[in-house]
Amino acid sequence: MRKSSRMFSSPVGVAGGALLLMAASALAAAPRYVDLRHLEPVHGDSAAGAKKAAVCFACHGANGVSVAPTFPRLAGQRAEYLYHRLVSFKRADPKDPYYSVSPMTPNVASLSDTDMRDLATYFSSQTPPATAAAAAAPGRGEALFLAGDPARGIAPCQGCHGAEAGGPSISTGPYAAYPSLRGQYAPYLIARLTSFHKNLPHDTTNDFIMGGVAQTLDDESIQAIAAWLSSLTPARSL
Amino acid sequence: MRKLRFTTALALLAVSASVWADSGVGVDTWLGNKLDPTGGQATKPLDLDGTSWLEPGQHRSPTGNLYGTPAEEPHPEILSVWQIYGTFDVGYLHTTGTKTALYDRYTRWPTNGPAFDFDVNAERPSDGSYAEARGSRISAEDQYYEAVYGKAGAYKAEVFVRDMPNLLSTDAKSIFNGVGTNTLTLAGGLVPGGSTQAQVAAASAAAPESWLGTQRNKQGIALSAYLTPHWTVYVNASDEQRKGTRPYGGPFFFDFDNIGGSVLETVKPIDDSTVNINAGGRYAGSEWRFDIGYSGSIYRDRYLSYTFQDPFVLGPPLVPGAVSSPLTQGQMSMEPDNDYHNLHATITRLLPMNGEASLTAGVGEMNQNDNLISPTNCQGTFGFSSTGTFAIGPQNPQLFPCSQWNTTAALSRTTADMAIVTTLTQGTLVLQPTSDVSVRGGAKYYREDYRNQYLMYNPQNGSYGYVAENGAQGSIVPGPGIWNPATYPVTSDVQVRSIPYSWQTIEAYGGADWKFSRHDTVGLTYTFDHYSPAHREVSYVDDNTIKLNWTDKSLSWLTFRLNYTHLKQSGSVYNSDPYAFAFFQNLPGFVPSDNTPTAWTVDAQRKYDISDRTENKVDLMATLMPRPDMTVTASVRGDWNQYPTQIGRQGYNTSAAMLQWEWQFQTLSSMSAWVGLDRSSMHMANVNDAGAPLATDTPNAALGGPTYPLADQWWAADKQRNWSGGASLTHYFGATRYVGPTRLDFSWNYQASRGITSYNFASPGALTYASVAPTAGNQFPAMTYIVNSLTMSFTVPLSDRASLRLYDYYERGQISDWHYAGFNNTLVYGNSLYTDGGPQAYNTNMVGLFVNVKLGGGK
Repeated sequence: MRKSSRMFSSPVGVAGGALLLMAASALAAAPRYVDLRHLEPVHGDSAAGAKKAAVCFACHGANGVSVAPTFPRLAGQRAEYLYHRLVSFKRADPKDPYYSVSPMTPNVASLSDTDMRDLATYFSSQTPPATAAAAAAPGRGEALFLAGDPARGIAPCQGCHGAEAGGPSISTGPYAAYPSLRGQYAPYLIARLTSFHKNLPHDTTNDFIMGGVAQTLDDESIQAIAAWLSSLTPARSL
Repeated sequence: MRKLRFTTALALLAVSASVWADSGVGVDTWLGNKLDPTGGQATKPLDLDGTSWLEPGQHRSPTGNLYGTPAEEPHPEILSVWQIYGTFDVGYLHTTGTKTALYDRYTRWPTNGPAFDFDVNAERPSDGSYAEARGSRISAEDQYYEAVYGKAGAYKAEVFVRDMPNLLSTDAKSIFNGVGTNTLTLAGGLVPGGSTQAQVAAASAAAPESWLGTQRNKQGIALSAYLTPHWTVYVNASDEQRKGTRPYGGPFFFDFDNIGGSVLETVKPIDDSTVNINAGGRYAGSEWRFDIGYSGSIYRDRYLSYTFQDPFVLGPPLVPGAVSSPLTQGQMSMEPDNDYHNLHATITRLLPMNGEASLTAGVGEMNQNDNLISPTNCQGTFGFSSTGTFAIGPQNPQLFPCSQWNTTAALSRTTADMAIVTTLTQGTLVLQPTSDVSVRGGAKYYREDYRNQYLMYNPQNGSYGYVAENGAQGSIVPGPGIWNPATYPVTSDVQVRSIPYSWQTIEAYGGADWKFSRHDTVGLTYTFDHYSPAHREVSYVDDNTIKLNWTDKSLSWLTFRLNYTHLKQSGSVYNSDPYAFAFFQNLPGFVPSDNTPTAWTVDAQRKYDISDRTENKVDLMATLMPRPDMTVTASVRGDWNQYPTQIGRQGYNTSAAMLQWEWQFQTLSSMSAWVGLDRSSMHMANVNDAGAPLATDTPNAALGGPTYPLADQWWAADKQRNWSGGASLTHYFGATRYVGPTRLDFSWNYQASRGITSYNFASPGALTYASVAPTAGNQFPAMTYIVNSLTMSFTVPLSDRASLRLYDYYERGQISDWHYAGFNNTLVYGNSLYTDGGPQAYNTNMVGLFVNVKLGGGK
């Protein structure tokens, strides 16, 4: 037998070659997206988060109740949702069409993982004020949220965000990262749904869910849903 | 040649215009090879994202098994109005180790050679048109290609070609020239009918080792269409050519105990073609459904027969003083050209209560009218010369001139002119009166009528019967199977007509399933089958079968299934000799050589297919789900058959146990392990006849009588035990934002079989040669077959479109088969010549390196 073929005369030799190939692949870059289907509970130090949150208050208001409606309310939001939003900003590609233009991206650059957990825990522990925007009349927004529009392929939002829009009743596993929408500002919701309609952002498995759901939403529907949600009284979503 | 056939198939496709749609009828719906038996499915990249964004892991089937991860969603390139996607794999294979028929049975690995496969798809979303071209090549003898063009909801056209080897032996040693043709002549200086055993052994030993096997090349088209939303039509046609060789018989009477015959293992040529056609139409309405179809096949063999020379000198006649003319060649008929046609129609009416009723009718015919070959191809004379003069005439009534038998003029007709006509009528009814109860019932009538019979009569000399082993039998013992009422009126009783084995069956069944609780379903089915054969030992056989099944899902982590079947088979009075009408004794003037026909067989014998029988069969299956990503399957089954007979099959039992574990530890990654054991045992009893002298042969067929004495009984048992086990791992890791994951596949399979045939006998009289009784023992050596195989595959991404795959397949086979003991030394034993050296152990490794390129990019 020729010496050159000995390497391939047994599985052991071939396995050696395979190991070389594996080493050559040297894959160390970040994964393509954050898989929230295997979500672990987020734990942090709320008190430490309070100390680190001062810079957040500038936009999101004291204790996470923002004043400007383009910035989302954070108070009472689910910690898993907040943490993974921060993670997405943190790991964003500089050329990403969504994150590269967000003011959040430079703000999270210096945050450690512990910082993000502490901040998420802090804001989720805050109780949002019971005040709500002027109540919107029951109408298309509520109907779309609760029942969708099968004729147009619009799924009912309550399937994931709960009948009270406070997040799903199951708060473990992947469902822990489905946010509460009650009392969220309409301009912020409109901006987010419009982005989802354009398949942005594209960083977590939940982004992909919303990207698919939003494809059948037109501007009118988005505004109707946002207006109805913003009219609800905020509540802690736990 | 391949290019020409492919072009022809494309031309056929082009001629067929009109609109077509898909159809599930026919074979060739799946093309694959040993490199990937799944036809590309197993090596297809899986969807890195799993099945759903909503939850991790896979869903389960109703019985609790985890579904696999779906294949990756294509990301097509846009080319004008078409979306194009697909994959190309190009690589090189290198094989080291032993090449044996067991390893290479249905494939042809190259020692060194390129291999490739591809699957390219094009879709036009604007009108639903699509096209696909796929293929795979391991070697020139082992490859397939397929092209599909269609339009969703309108038509589909497919054309394919497939080449596949069927290797039977890699250690054959042939003493013949002309292997692969229909004329085998002796090589190595051997003289027909005039070579010694030593000369034949020397020629066999000197012959080079060669391969015996068949190459199967097939091509076909499939066309189907939706004519309206309710009507579909389809036609599939294929043509397969087989070319090659296989080991085959070539007897010149017996060769044991130096009786004087010779037994050859010759090499049969294979050169035939089979055309298969399926065509039909279906109507599917809201209340009525209708299905009418035609199935047919046409088989043609290039050769009518093949001839071979016999090197051995036939021994002298067993009758003192008689002499035999030499025989130097023999012949074998090939499979006859034959046709098969079947027309069938089913009409179904949907009923209230979620039910339906259907009625099926079908008629078919299998026929063959091939030319018949002459009874012998000898030259000169055959048979015995009692006077020693070789003079044809009344003084030598058992000596025949070949000229009266080596021509088709010696046949009662020159073509077969045989047919079997089939008739089928079937009705079924299914109703679901409540959501928890479904009932079903049905009846079926099926019949096969044999048309025509052949009478073995030679108009040239007025004789009846056939020339056994080209005349060798008649050259060694009196009574060559020929009876002539004028010149040779007294002889042994021999079959002279073909037997028309017509039969019919009437079957009726009824049953119900009841979901008696939220988690439990039970079912009961009763089936009655009345089988009525013509010219068999019984006029009818009745089967009564009860099947019970229970499925329980009370525990969220367990699916439990139990099936039990009880069958009772019984029939009419058993006649151990229903064939007398087809023998000489039914012809006027026949005189048995011992004045009365000898008993055909012992009357206590019961053939197992029509014997009384009691069967009990149990299946227990449990599917456990200890975690959402894990499945454990355990099953135990047993099947016990008892035959209350003194002679024949008395029992046949099988049992098996299996345990399997599967864990999908990541979205794409999984591992599994399994072990299985199955056993079977078959017991039979028989009795030797009293044998020579012929004067003791009597019509007494009783067990314990003079022809079949109790002392000549013997018993045999076949016991088989099979172990199997294995483990597999598929792991994806290292996926990044820019390139896909590295994939590791590993699997190990183990299979071991051990079979023993044991026997015992009442006295030495049960044996053909009583003298060997003291050394006969009580069993043959064990037959064992052990195969270990190891598969490893690493796929490393090079970019988002390209990857490198290293593939290794190692297999080791060990076999012990006493039938071939000693074949390493010689293939010649007395006047017996073997050609195939038998199955060989092997130790083979095959490695391949492939580059995969995706057309259309990836995630």
